[in-house]
Amino acid sequence: MVDWLTMTIQVASLAMAGWCLISTFRDRPMLVPHLIGMGVLWLLVLGQAVATVVTMVGGERPEETAMFVSYLATVVLLPPACAVWGFMERSKWGPAVIAFACLILPVLFVRLEQLWSPVV
Amino acid sequence: MSDTAPDAVTAATLRTGPGRLLVAVYGVFALAATARGVYQLATKFEEAPVAYLLSVLAGVIYLVAAVGLARAGRTSRRVALVSCVIEMVGVLVVGAASLALPEVFPDDTVWSGFGSGYFFIPLVLPVVGLWWILRIHRLDRD
Repeated sequence: MVDWLTMTIQVASLAMAGWCLISTFRDRPMLVPHLIGMGVLWLLVLGQAVATVVTMVGGERPEETAMFVSYLATVVLLPPACAVWGFMERSKWGPAVIAFACLILPVLFVRLEQLWSPVV
Repeated sequence: MSDTAPDAVTAATLRTGPGRLLVAVYGVFALAATARGVYQLATKFEEAPVAYLLSVLAGVIYLVAAVGLARAGRTSRRVALVSCVIEMVGVLVVGAASLALPEVFPDDTVWSGFGSGYFFIPLVLPVVGLWWILRIHRLDRD
């Protein structure tokens, strides 16, 4: 896994969560800028996933490969799934869905990094 | 909610407004609990069978609740209601049991310690779920 990408994703995800929480509290629905933000975040996640898979094909694998791959699949699917689900809702609860997703994404990345290089 | 017009209240409203967020949270918990349980059952069943089976069970109940909330109709609402009640009982019983009889739970489940490993969301979730289902039910009847 590319360390700086993980850091960037976590910071971007938290920023996105903050932005969406503000939208929720200001009673705004999810708009196109939110969607673009999620798109950028998703591209970063995809970049990390591709880089990681390439490394794994190259032979470097975490010990609990099955667990790691299932987490990786989850972080790849989470942003688009939540973006669609939130965008369908035309009230302040749309950004609330995105905020929730963007709060758990950094946690999932912490788990991914732990699985990738366990600190014993 | 002020943003939900009374005339817009139909059987479909469980998944709109706050319900939208609820379905998302339930979906994530369904995935988390099921994946964790299945993985643990597959790799180390002997270590803590009770805990791992409970994880899978919790995951399935979350999944049923998520689907019940996301689908329109009275049957789905009843399904969601029942699964939220089971969840409530589950998190309370397992939470208490994990503290009183730690030897039965050598490994954690989503419900251990009243969901302390998951920011207590498993404890809050069924309460919010029940509140939401009953609220919609009352609006629908009026």
